[in-house]
Amino acid sequence: MNLTTSTHTGAAGGSNASSGGPTDGITPKMQGHMIDWRRLFSLREMGVYYALILLVSAISFVTVYTGRPSYLSLGNISNVLYQASLVAIIAVAMTVILITGNFDLSVASVAALSAAVLVSLADTLGFWPAAFVAMLVSVLAGLLNGAIVQYLGINAFIVTLGTLTAIRGVVQIYTDGQSLSVQTPEALQAMRMFESGRFPIAIPLMVIGAGLLLAGFWSLLRARRHARSVSVTSLGMVIGGVCCLALVWAGGVSLSMPKPVVYMAVFTMIVWFVLNMTTIGRRVYAVGGNPEAARLSGINVKRYKMAGFILCSAAAGFGGVLFGSRLGAVNPTAMQGAELTVIASAILGGTSLFGGAGSVIKTLAGALLLFTLTNGFNILNLGANYQGVIEGTVVVTAAAIYTVGGARRQKR
Amino acid sequence: MVNEVPLLQLQGVTKTFPNGLVALRGVNLEVLRGTVHGLLGANGAGKSTLIKILSGSLPASGGRIVWKGTAVEYSSPKAANDMGIATIHQHIPLVPTLSVLENVFLSEEGRWRRNPAIRAHFSDLCQRIGYWLDPDGLVSDLSIGQRQMVAILQALGTGADLIVMDEPTASLAASEREVVYKIVRQLSSVENKAILFVSHFLDEVMALTDRVTILRDGQAVVDAETRELDESRIAEAIVGRQIVALEKAPPQKFDAGAPVLLELKDVASPGKLDPISLKVRAGEVIGIAGLLGSGRSEVLHAIFGADPDATGEVFVDGKKIRKSTASAVRAGLGLVPEDRMAQGLVPGFEIWRNTTLPALDGVARGRWFPDRAVERQRGAEAIRRLSIKANSSDIVVTELSGGNAQKVTIAKWLFSDVKVFLLDEPTAGIDIGAKTDILLLVRELAAAGKAVIIVSSEFEEILAVSTRILVMRDGRCIAERVGHETSEHELVLLAGGHSANSDGAQQSNVQSL
Repeated sequence: MNLTTSTHTGAAGGSNASSGGPTDGITPKMQGHMIDWRRLFSLREMGVYYALILLVSAISFVTVYTGRPSYLSLGNISNVLYQASLVAIIAVAMTVILITGNFDLSVASVAALSAAVLVSLADTLGFWPAAFVAMLVSVLAGLLNGAIVQYLGINAFIVTLGTLTAIRGVVQIYTDGQSLSVQTPEALQAMRMFESGRFPIAIPLMVIGAGLLLAGFWSLLRARRHARSVSVTSLGMVIGGVCCLALVWAGGVSLSMPKPVVYMAVFTMIVWFVLNMTTIGRRVYAVGGNPEAARLSGINVKRYKMAGFILCSAAAGFGGVLFGSRLGAVNPTAMQGAELTVIASAILGGTSLFGGAGSVIKTLAGALLLFTLTNGFNILNLGANYQGVIEGTVVVTAAAIYTVGGARRQKR
Repeated sequence: MVNEVPLLQLQGVTKTFPNGLVALRGVNLEVLRGTVHGLLGANGAGKSTLIKILSGSLPASGGRIVWKGTAVEYSSPKAANDMGIATIHQHIPLVPTLSVLENVFLSEEGRWRRNPAIRAHFSDLCQRIGYWLDPDGLVSDLSIGQRQMVAILQALGTGADLIVMDEPTASLAASEREVVYKIVRQLSSVENKAILFVSHFLDEVMALTDRVTILRDGQAVVDAETRELDESRIAEAIVGRQIVALEKAPPQKFDAGAPVLLELKDVASPGKLDPISLKVRAGEVIGIAGLLGSGRSEVLHAIFGADPDATGEVFVDGKKIRKSTASAVRAGLGLVPEDRMAQGLVPGFEIWRNTTLPALDGVARGRWFPDRAVERQRGAEAIRRLSIKANSSDIVVTELSGGNAQKVTIAKWLFSDVKVFLLDEPTAGIDIGAKTDILLLVRELAAAGKAVIIVSSEFEEILAVSTRILVMRDGRCIAERVGHETSEHELVLLAGGHSANSDGAQQSNVQSL
C-alpha cells in the first residue's frame, strides 16, 4: 500500500542509493560487515519496485502532459489499491505456498465456490454465518488439496490443475449454471458494511509509520554499533515508515481507504511478520529450501506444507467472500482465470517456483504493478486489446531478470 | 621421456572470481602420456577450480594451457571434449531415465537413436576396460559403482587422450574401488592415456599414481614422482602442518557404569534392516563399520525416526520416543546425514540460519521470535569452534567447500541439549585437516558425556575414535568388537564377509605397494 506514493519512495530509494555509492569501493573482505549496496539495489532484488515506480511515473507524466486528471490523485490511488486488493490477498497466500515448495492453481475456483456458498446462504443464515460456512468450505478444499499432495505424494501442479476444474464444476452444479444473488436487504446491508465502506486510516497509518521508522532506525543503529551488516528488513521498515507518513501528509487527517484495501494491508503485514520475525516463518523457508534437511532437523515438513495449502485456500475463500459481497451476486464463471493473475503477481515479486525464496511485500508490489498497468490503460484510453500483450511481456521480462540475475550471482 | 612433449601443460594458470576470491595463484602442471597423475589438496585448495578450467566449464583468468605442444583456449566442455580432454565429475552427471548405451554416447551427434555401430563401439569399449555392463539397462537401476563405470565408458567413448577423474572412488565400496584401479592402470599402461586422478585417499594415490601434484591455497606446493614421496609427507604438504596422529592416541576411557543415554529394542526396517538391540552409555562412541548398502545408514535413520517403515522401540534417557524426527530432536538426538547438501543444509540459508535451524527455540525470544543477533553469534561461534573457513556467518552455505559445509551440518547440533549424536559418514570426501578436526570433536563430545554413534567406510577412523565397534553386513549387525582390541584388517574381513577375503588381501596389497 505504501508503494504507490511513488515520488516519495523514489526519493528515499535514490538518497539511499547515492549514500551507498562511496561504499562500492570497499574491499571484498569488508563486505562481511558492510552492506552490499550494489546487490541490495540490484535489478534482481528491487526490480519490481523500480518497475512500479517507473510505470507510475510514466503514467502520471503522460496524464499531466495530456491534460487529463492527475494520475497521482488520492482517489485514483485508492481506486487502484481497491481493484488490486482481492487478487493481492490471494497472491500473498500464494507466495507462502510457493515458498513451501508447492503450488496451488485452484485458488480462483475455490474463491468462486466460496462466493457461491456465501451468496446462496446469506438470505437464510444471514451474512456472518454464511461467510463462516464459505470459509469452512474453502479450508476443506485446501485440506483436500494438501492431503492429496502430501499423503499420496502426487505433484501439486497436477493435483490443483485437477481441483481447478473439479471445484469449478462443483460451482456449476451448486449454482445449476445460473447467476445467484442476495435478496434480503439485511444481508445486503451487512455485505455493504463488510465490503464497500471506507476506514479512516490517518491515525493508524501515522502510528504504524512512526512505529516502523523508530523500529527501523533502532535496528540500523544497533547494526552500526555492532559493526554488523545492515539488514534489508530495517531499511525496508524505514522506507515503509516514510511512505506511511507521506501518505498521511498527502491525504490529511480525513484520509480513508476502502475496507478491502485495509484487509489487504493487515493480512500482508501479518504474513510478513510471521514469515520474517517468527520461528514458524524460518521453518517455512527451510521446508521449501530443502525439505529433507528440514525433516532431518526435526521439522514436521508435512504439517508445514499442509498449512500452506490451507492458508492459500482460506485466503482464496476470503477473496470469494469479498467478491460475493461486492455485488451481492455471483455467476458460475466468476473469477475464472484469476489464478493466473495471482501467480503472475507472485512471480513478478520474485518468488521462486522451486520454493525457499520469496517476499510477500514484493508480491504485493507485483500485484499493484499488474493493476496499475490495467488502470493506466483505462486512463490513457489505450484500448484493452494491447493489455494482454503488455502484461504477458512484463511477466516474462521479470522472470528473465530474476533468472539471469540469479545465474550471474551464482557464477561469481 | 625428456624429449617427449607433454600432453598437457599448465603455465601459471590463475583464477580470480569476480567477487575478489583468488582460487588459483599460478599453477604449473605437466601431464605426460601413459601416466597416472595424482592431484591432491585440501578442500578449498583450488582442485575443483582447476578441474573446472580443464573441463572447460570455467575460463582461466591468466596463464597458458598448452595441449600437445600448442597453446589453446577453449571455453566450453564440448570444446574440451573435442580436443581430447574428458572429465568424470565427482557427482556423476548421467541421465537416469536413459539406458547405459545412450548415456555413454550422449554427446554423439548421430542422426538416429538406434545405431548398430554404436552398439559395436560399446562392446569394444567394455572389452578395453575389461568390465561388462548391460547396454540396455537403465542408469537409474545401477549402483553408484556401476554408474561410475558408465561415466568412465562415456569419457573413453569420446576418444579422449586425457581423462580427468574427480574423486572417482569417494563413494565406492572397496571391491568397486579395485575395479576402478584396474581400469585406471589399464588405460595408462596399455592405452597410453594420461589420467589426472583427484583423490583424498592417500593410500590409493600412493598405489596408483606415477606422479603427484599437491595444491595448497591455489598453488602447487609439491610436484614430484610418487616413488619419492610417502604418505606422511603428502599429508604434511596437503595441510601444511603436522597432522595430529589420531591413531596413536591412547584408547578412550569411559565409565562402564555411566547412565544409558540411548537404548534400542528390536529396531528394524523391513527389507533393509534386521532387528537390532543396543545400549549406548554416556561418554561412549559406537562405531558402525560396514560397506555401502550394509544397512549402516538405515540404522541411524531408524533411530532418528526418519524411516517411516521402521519398527521397534527407541529410548532416550529412559524415555520412549515416538517415530518422528521432531520428537527425536526434542528428545535430544542429532543426526548428521550422509549427503550434506541434499539432506543436511538448506542451500539458500546463510551459515547462521543453517546452524540454528534445529534449535530455533533456543535462540528465540519467548519461543516464537528468533533473535538474529543471537543467531549470528551462534554462527560466529560455530565458525570459531569448528574452524570453518568463512569470513563471516553471513556466507551462504552453497559457497562453502565440502569440508566446511560438513562442519556446518555438525554445528547445527552443538548448540542445543543434544545427548546422542548420530554421525553418518561425517568425513566422506573432505580433506585430512577437516577430518582430523571432526574426529577430535567426536572425542571431545564423548568426553563431555555425550553418546556418539559414528558410521564410516574408513575403518581406521572408526578405530581411532570408537570404544565399541559394530560390524554390519546385509542389513544385519554381525559382530561387536571392543575398540582397541580389533584391527582394521579384522574389520575389513568381517564387513566384507567370506567373499571379501580376497578383497581384504587386495586392499592390504594396495596399502603395502
